[in-house]
Amino acid sequence: MSVKAPVAAPVPAKGRPRGGLVRDLVLLVVFAAILVALPSVLRSLFGQASVSYLSLAIRAVGLAVLALSWDIVARTGQLSLAHAAFYGAGAYSAAVLLKLTGAPIWLSMPVAGVVAALLALVLGAATLRLYGIYFAIASLAFTEVVKVIVQSMPFSITGGTVGTNLPPLFRPVFVAGEMERWEVAFLRNQGYFLVYVGVLVLTIVISLLIQNSRLRHAFTAVRTNEFVAGVMGVNPARNKLIAFVLSSFIVGMLGAVEAHRFGSVNPDVTFSVHTTVLALVTPIFGGLYTTVGPILAAGVLSGLEETLKRVLSDGYLVAYGVVLVVSILFMPRGLVGLFKKLTTRSRTQSGGEHDG
Amino acid sequence: MDLSLLPQALISGVLAAGLYALVSVGLALAIGVIGIVNFAHGEFFMVGAFFAYQLFVSFGFDPLLSILFVAPALFLIGALLYQTTIRFVLKAPELNQMLLTFGIGIILQNLALSIWGGDPRSIGAVPYRAVGIQLGNVSIGLVPLGSFVISVLLVGGLYYVLARTPIGRAMRAVAQNRIGAGLVGLEVNRVYLIAFALSALLAGIGGVMIAVIQSPTPTIGLAFTLKAFAIVVLAGLGNIRGIVTASLLVAVSESLVATLLPNGDSLRNAVFFAIIFATLVYRSWRKL
Repeated sequence: MSVKAPVAAPVPAKGRPRGGLVRDLVLLVVFAAILVALPSVLRSLFGQASVSYLSLAIRAVGLAVLALSWDIVARTGQLSLAHAAFYGAGAYSAAVLLKLTGAPIWLSMPVAGVVAALLALVLGAATLRLYGIYFAIASLAFTEVVKVIVQSMPFSITGGTVGTNLPPLFRPVFVAGEMERWEVAFLRNQGYFLVYVGVLVLTIVISLLIQNSRLRHAFTAVRTNEFVAGVMGVNPARNKLIAFVLSSFIVGMLGAVEAHRFGSVNPDVTFSVHTTVLALVTPIFGGLYTTVGPILAAGVLSGLEETLKRVLSDGYLVAYGVVLVVSILFMPRGLVGLFKKLTTRSRTQSGGEHDG
Repeated sequence: MDLSLLPQALISGVLAAGLYALVSVGLALAIGVIGIVNFAHGEFFMVGAFFAYQLFVSFGFDPLLSILFVAPALFLIGALLYQTTIRFVLKAPELNQMLLTFGIGIILQNLALSIWGGDPRSIGAVPYRAVGIQLGNVSIGLVPLGSFVISVLLVGGLYYVLARTPIGRAMRAVAQNRIGAGLVGLEVNRVYLIAFALSALLAGIGGVMIAVIQSPTPTIGLAFTLKAFAIVVLAGLGNIRGIVTASLLVAVSESLVATLLPNGDSLRNAVFFAIIFATLVYRSWRKL
């Protein structure tokens, strides 16, 4: 960033521990190590049942990626309802790349990320002067436009309204006599789980780098008051664009992996507004503008969702609506805020900070 | 392109504009008076449609009759939601307000999904559904015509209320200056409550009509939220008077695209989103 004047945050940056980035990265390494070891641990503990536990873990990690990447945009005060667009763009670019060219399968994820980031650059550049509700509405409309464009492309490219298929990333082979049937499913899930964890680690690193650099203050300034930020020498448009492009790159990659895992893309499913809903409810529940909040909430919510899906087949998202409304009304700072409140109750409360 | 379809497309567009105006004017009321950007507005519309459907299935109520039940029901739902949730975020950051209404929308939509399932439902068996008037090569269905007339009456009624009645004056006063209105003795919170409930009521009546015109599913709400936003944004946020013109513009262009372009029906929705997007981007670049 080439901000000339020292970046002044309207809100004093409190709550950052001395250790800063180094401490955070050490914690991340520990967290990642636990996740990498998780499949083997589950396997030795639960045997065959570990396959479905691993599926649940994949869902949780995917949700964490979705939530944390959305939070990065929210840090600049933008309510993005276009997450489904970038997710879908990633999924479709992976599908189209593999369908039309002989590209190696592992190229699909970076390509998907880049396509989604470029799309974000276009949307961001067009809308960078919009703020508040105007941006929210424009981003929601953008999602539908992208979906309609994908639908109306020739059948030989995107498969129109039907969609198209993708090869799986992992094809474990069943060897009779050496392994049991369920181990094939286990190996497949393990492969995907590790890829998801890789994307999550990348997301966390990006988030931590933002939180420990001047970008954190720039984002906060833009969020708190765009005009004041501009006066202080923080370029609101540029910062919003940085957040938007980074976030979309991540979610584009996630879209690609999920498309491989599901085996197909389809306009209605891939661009479903559910993706956007999940992306925004999770960080709000966990605690906006934090790295830990969205990840924590993803764990809690994916467990909750699994239970609810069995009870309410069609309308399980109602739980997300309730969580959203309750969080906004009763704990606008999420689980992290709640936790902080409980631990710092004895000390003096720092009034005046208003993160929204 | 078949130009002989032009008159038909224009008429259909104008008739559809009535319903759009009815739904959008409610949203404009919520935005203009209360300052709440209601992402759940289309869900009120959807709830209205499914209430009418249920009244028809359970008791055989004619949709015209069910308006008399759906309207107060939606008014109550709106009032209840305002009293239990919206009221508390009036002074909160805009992000929180939008997220709250988005959450309410998710709840309503998924409640409807778990009650009625995801299949399209319609009130198909009303005797006048297939009746129409033939004028040359233009045919006008009785149902679209009826919904147009009802919408015009309701939107006109709202304009009258805003212009001439005490509560309308109060709403305009609160919209202009909340503190000032409070200082001269208006019960601001009560005015907000009525405005929000009225906004839900108007959307609900629109929903009753869509249940006869189309076969809605519980997910129809979001599309109508977006359509209403397109119109409200085109009219200028908070501008209630511009809604009629904006509705005509949007509905007629939608109808023209759907009728005249090859493969137009699938592009129908794209018209709305393109309009929203273009208007927003154009305004943002002109303003600065």
